[in-house]
Amino acid sequence: MSIGATHIDHIVIASNDSAATAKLFSVNLGIEIKRVMSRPGTGSHMEFAKLQEVVLEFAGPPQPKEGEEPRARLGGFVLAVDDIDAAVAALRAKGVDVGDAHPAVQPGAKIAGIRAGTHGVPLALIQYNATPVDSQPAGS
Amino acid sequence: MKTRKIDHVGIVVKDIDAALATFSRHFGFQADGSRGGEVAALGIKNAFMPVGESDLEFIQPTSDQGPVAKFAQERGEGQFMLSIAVEDVTAAVEHLRGLGVRVGDPSNGVAFVSMKSSHGVNLQLIQR
Repeated sequence: MSIGATHIDHIVIASNDSAATAKLFSVNLGIEIKRVMSRPGTGSHMEFAKLQEVVLEFAGPPQPKEGEEPRARLGGFVLAVDDIDAAVAALRAKGVDVGDAHPAVQPGAKIAGIRAGTHGVPLALIQYNATPVDSQPAGS
Repeated sequence: MKTRKIDHVGIVVKDIDAALATFSRHFGFQADGSRGGEVAALGIKNAFMPVGESDLEFIQPTSDQGPVAKFAQERGEGQFMLSIAVEDVTAAVEHLRGLGVRVGDPSNGVAFVSMKSSHGVNLQLIQR
């Protein structure tokens, strides 16, 4: 049974200075940073750019450490699905260790992390319009 | 410089057949049998699996030399490279060099950005 993954929704680029890495990619590749998000209480700073259907998510701590050179790495990717609860159930039926779907930082979206069986690639599933935007937790 | 899309995500694996079987079984993706194979000059074999408008490229080292083998030795399996499709790879290289970015000469429509110029991310530019 297919999980109904339609495309790569976003690719995570993890950086110790996500603002600097996002700016570097934006300038060098000529891509526009569409959204900047700092989440109080979660200790993260994220910036987002989009190349056709795929979002590049630059994720890092809220502030870079002083004197530290920016260092980044590919931090996995997220597959878009139409029905995340059905996809999670289908994966579990195949013996895949996948977490429960929970609200994502994207308003109205739910996300579930896959914890093993991905050949070393951090992978998750996301469904947009999974919940009413009003039900999202504060700060998301 | 005109970027078009994320062309593919390169994933280094120990056993390419096992990886294809996993991603097919778990996610329902199908390998594109018309592409990939042994690339002796690079010491790898690869296979492609379309996902939407992009591909997953599975890469298995076939020698103990080269960047893929080094990645496998140091980190095992995992996400190795991000490939970005550009309209004109020669123009893209000229553009990047004009910005002071270290980037290799284009070869067969492909050029690699130095990881020293990308905060350590392995970036490939490709013209299809």
